[in-house]
Amino acid sequence: MPPTGLEPARMNRKKGDKGFESPRPYKLTHQVVCINNINFQRKSVVGFVELTIFPTVANLNRIKLNSKQCRIYRVRINDLEAAFIYNDPTLEVCHNESKQRNLNYFSNAYAAAVSAVDPDAGNGELCIKVPSELWKHVDELKVLKIHINFSLDQPKGGLHFVVPSVEGSMAERGAHVFSCGYQNSTRFWFPCVDSYSELCTWKLEFTVDAAMVAVSNGDLVETVYTHDMRKKTFHYMLTIPTAASNISLAIGPFEILVDPYMHEVTHFCLPQLLPLLKHTTSYLHEVFEFYEEILTCRYPYSCFKTVFIDEAYVEVAAYASMSIFSTNLLHSAMIIDETPLTRRCLAQSLAQQFFGCFISRMSWSDEWVLKGISGYIYGLWMKKTFGVNEYRHWIKEELDKIVAYELKTGGVLLHPIFGGGKEKDNPASHLHFSIKHPHTLSWEYYTMFQCKAHLVMRLIENRISMEFMLQVFNKLLSLASTASSQKFQSHMWSQMLVSTSGFLKSISNVSGKDIQPLIKQWVDQSGVVKFYGSFAFNRKRNVLELEIKQDYTSPGTQKYVGPLKVTVQELDGSFNHTLQIEENSLKHDIPCHSKSRRNKKKKIPLMNGEEVDMDLSAMDADSPLLWIRIDPDMSVLRKVEFEQADFMWQYQLRYERDVVAQQESILALEKFPTPASRLALTDILEQEQCFYRVRMSACFCLAKIANSMVSTWTGPPAMKSLFTRMFCCKTCPNIVKTNNFMSFQSYFLQKTMPVAMALLRDVHNLCPKEVLTFILDLIKYNDNRKNKFSDNYYRAEMIDALANSVTPAVSVNNEVRTLDNLNPDVRLILEEITRFLNMEKLLPSYRHTITVSCLRAIRVLQKNGHVPSDPALFKSYAEYGHFVDIRIAALEAVVDYTKVDRSYEELQWLLNMIQNDPVPYVRHKILNMLTKNPPFTKNMESPLCNEALVDQLWKLMNSGDDGTYFCKLKIK
Amino acid sequence: MADAAATAGAGSSGTRSGSKQSTNPADNYHLARRRTLQVVVSSLLTEAGFESAEKASVETLTEMLQSYISEIGRSAKSYCEHTARTQPTLSDIVVTLVEMGFNVDTLPAYAKRSQRMVITAPPVTNQPVTPKALTAGQNRPHPPHIPSHFPEFPDPHTYIKTPTYREPVSDYQVLREKAASQRRDVERALTRFMAKTGETQSLFKDDVSTFPLIAARPFTIPYLTALLPSELEMQQMEETDSSEQDEQTDTENLPLHINTDDSGAEKENTSVLQQNPSLSGSRNGEENIIDNPYLRPVKKPKIRRKN
Repeated sequence: MPPTGLEPARMNRKKGDKGFESPRPYKLTHQVVCINNINFQRKSVVGFVELTIFPTVANLNRIKLNSKQCRIYRVRINDLEAAFIYNDPTLEVCHNESKQRNLNYFSNAYAAAVSAVDPDAGNGELCIKVPSELWKHVDELKVLKIHINFSLDQPKGGLHFVVPSVEGSMAERGAHVFSCGYQNSTRFWFPCVDSYSELCTWKLEFTVDAAMVAVSNGDLVETVYTHDMRKKTFHYMLTIPTAASNISLAIGPFEILVDPYMHEVTHFCLPQLLPLLKHTTSYLHEVFEFYEEILTCRYPYSCFKTVFIDEAYVEVAAYASMSIFSTNLLHSAMIIDETPLTRRCLAQSLAQQFFGCFISRMSWSDEWVLKGISGYIYGLWMKKTFGVNEYRHWIKEELDKIVAYELKTGGVLLHPIFGGGKEKDNPASHLHFSIKHPHTLSWEYYTMFQCKAHLVMRLIENRISMEFMLQVFNKLLSLASTASSQKFQSHMWSQMLVSTSGFLKSISNVSGKDIQPLIKQWVDQSGVVKFYGSFAFNRKRNVLELEIKQDYTSPGTQKYVGPLKVTVQELDGSFNHTLQIEENSLKHDIPCHSKSRRNKKKKIPLMNGEEVDMDLSAMDADSPLLWIRIDPDMSVLRKVEFEQADFMWQYQLRYERDVVAQQESILALEKFPTPASRLALTDILEQEQCFYRVRMSACFCLAKIANSMVSTWTGPPAMKSLFTRMFCCKTCPNIVKTNNFMSFQSYFLQKTMPVAMALLRDVHNLCPKEVLTFILDLIKYNDNRKNKFSDNYYRAEMIDALANSVTPAVSVNNEVRTLDNLNPDVRLILEEITRFLNMEKLLPSYRHTITVSCLRAIRVLQKNGHVPSDPALFKSYAEYGHFVDIRIAALEAVVDYTKVDRSYEELQWLLNMIQNDPVPYVRHKILNMLTKNPPFTKNMESPLCNEALVDQLWKLMNSGDDGTYFCKLKIK
Repeated sequence: MADAAATAGAGSSGTRSGSKQSTNPADNYHLARRRTLQVVVSSLLTEAGFESAEKASVETLTEMLQSYISEIGRSAKSYCEHTARTQPTLSDIVVTLVEMGFNVDTLPAYAKRSQRMVITAPPVTNQPVTPKALTAGQNRPHPPHIPSHFPEFPDPHTYIKTPTYREPVSDYQVLREKAASQRRDVERALTRFMAKTGETQSLFKDDVSTFPLIAARPFTIPYLTALLPSELEMQQMEETDSSEQDEQTDTENLPLHINTDDSGAEKENTSVLQQNPSLSGSRNGEENIIDNPYLRPVKKPKIRRKN
């Protein structure tokens, strides 16, 4: 292998240019992509590309480009035929000879294969020889034009064709095609330098059927008919230097909607969906305004396009000046639940337009900066749009997610630095995959990586203030936009690439603060912090003795040294203390301000200045402490296990105004099943000012407490009277009011309460008859005629509630399940499920939420032995042609069946689908579900675990044409 | 029809004979009519100078006469029905006679001939009792503004109404109960019907009828049914939209800040107006103002490209 990639690039950069060294011996300036024939029937594409490059070394004789699965016909350089070699090592990761079949071996081989074609190391699948006639030309470092004719037949990745099999022309059938992929995978559909760091300007031409529209990056310059007038050619120009990985395409008979508020923004959707598109995108301009305002920077591209397509690879994919969304994000004004989700997706994609598309990255180890910034400004948007409560709740959720993942799987490293490649130095030896390349990661790891990135950005914000943070972003953007308008010759384009060091330098320039320790802790190092806290109150000294221990030996943890905020709520008010966590000190003395309980009548001041009356009878008479919180602002990536008395948790739940604190106390109260906890939870449930998500989790906690207290529980089942009071008619308490979902808080609570109630169990561990009747009545009297909103999610949750109420069947010596021995309660449940499922066929609900819930409920009935366990029904719903949500729900049931019944046949069926299903999302999802709920585990004897299966999986992994198979399937 | 023709014929001839032999009233009636016809035939024979006739020939002549009269009746009825009437008039009969080749002009003279014999009106026999449709009550007399020749009022039961007011069900509970069970019954009946008429799946192998599930059927374009609201929902939305507009103020301080359509749109409008006054006209002439490359017409190919 010639060492071209390692040669330092000879670029005469200016001094200010923060040394970006291209791994390639040439620089790309402009690329033409022309696709002049697209055949939907055969799913093929024919076209050519033309790359304009400037050699940067004199002896350039080979040019490496990226190309996968394309058939290359002809390569010409400056009109001279050039020889080329095409080799894609990822097609067969481990060669046949391999006797060794374990994950470690595979992972190494795969990393080696990916690295052999990694554009960031100057490699590529396509190696072109520069004709000898041009050597002199090259030595003068003169421009080369590489013209490559290629075609693509039945692509397995990169481009996805959706061709419904109905009558009519392709346009009438709604056939469409779009580019998709994970990270830099543009090489799947045209030869290019598939790197985020190789920027150039673009000319894109697509010739399509006259009834179709081709949407791509940049400005649509003109649309011209071909001379037979049956096709038209879309000419796009993208003058802002962009990486090939950010190039995209969508072709289909799209309906076009020009945004009424911003005429340079155009939305596209599939036929018949225009009304939904209008409603869904009506909000987008507000997101634009928000980002432009906080970044004090205009949207960098001259236009923006959103395309909503079917069979999407991911829900949101952002590319230069266009985003591709799943069509399933579209919704009408009647849908409540999907609205915030879709708006989040829109906002997310727009944030990535600034950081990710416009500003690209230097290398894979700088990815965290882009993901971090886009995630962070998306978070700011959330805060502004949905409020501080929702924002803090989200942060807490993300924090819990990353902490759980790291503690389970091992650390997530944001900024990996790779040394000489010694195995010992591998920063990710605990993982079964290499983190050197985006393509070798598991999806879950990458999701967690993004999650951690934005949390770390938030930590930086905590350190340097939001104002400085936004100034840094603005600086990055304005540098980039100055650079983008320059000609290539000025060598300014690398300003559009962000690097970790550049970003940090920018931060220190703007804020003057040293954030190096923070970066070292969270970016250069993996792992989270695990705190255990407990305390004692020393009455004599009036001091709170706090003990904080750390676990830094378990996998995925790290030691934390530095400041830690502790908030103590005392009778006289709330006080913040900053402790210095050091190597050996575990105990911290915190002086208290209040002299235990002096006068009982006084109001108690809270953190936010509010003063409230509290019933203090529950607390310890000797101690002035109401509750204690460790790291209340979540300024450490940590898990805190803190011990305090039950009454303190109850006070915290009732009076602490921070939703995160409330949620923590709800979680803690599960361990204290007492009447006092019950009362605190019920009070929260009833409090309308309380954040609705807190109230929702209070429901589930209350159900758990009620179950623990079952022998002493008095009165009606938990939440029943509450629900009756809130949602039922005054005159007839057993009938629910006709639906009115105008108040979304109440709506969410109304949806959740029955689901939680169904988890209640009596002394026999059965769901109380009263609760089941109650839920059945809710279903019976459900009346949505006067409602402005659809009740499909509500009804789906009622079915979930029914499923929750199911308990294992009492089985007498494994008799076969028949109708005759069906439990009468189950009969009622089944009656409802049957009716709902059948009604769905006649009056389908939005996104078929009800079918999804019914399928899940049927699986629950099967699993609990009420209905014979049988995968046939699910298999029929899992077939291609059902709505994707239904398919996933059905597949989940089949996966579960495979595990419970150890069915080899079903496992084969699933594996077959993994290989052959037309929708990549479904294929990934099956794998994902199989890894989450594996049919057998490593140390388990299972008839499924046999040689043939190992063979099959091994083959599957090796044929990785999609590059995203991560069967961590427990082989051997 | 034959019966009607016979009646008409009998009516036009103006003769009725009577005899009170009893068997069946309808038979009696026919017999009596036939006898009258025989008398007529006999008198005509007498008039023509016959002194005696064989019974068989009298029978034959009677038969012929009856056929002739029946034909006149039948034909006249056809004519009248042709002109959309129900009762034959004189002119119908005249046309009929003409059609049958009879010289109508000779009729008056014939009727007034001197040697004609007058037959006494036959005694009234029992009309055959046509089983009467159920009559209830007295038919109403015509009010003064309706001429008397107009048809009579039909039986009172066909138009008289007695409004009854049942106490409306105002009990909310009962109403809800009713609405709920009605809907449930409809849904169950409908789904069962659909399940019976189509393919089904079952959760129990031994029983396919108790919980029949309509078989899952893949769609060619699955997202359309999943995303588009059904017509029913659209209709509902329109209804509730108009009725609940005044409640919209509630939504403003919701935690989710999902703007409902109307309030959101208002806000959007104002912000746009402040930002860019030139857009204010966009409501009226949208298409004209927007310059979006996707709305521009497709260009014709340049000629030089042709070769």
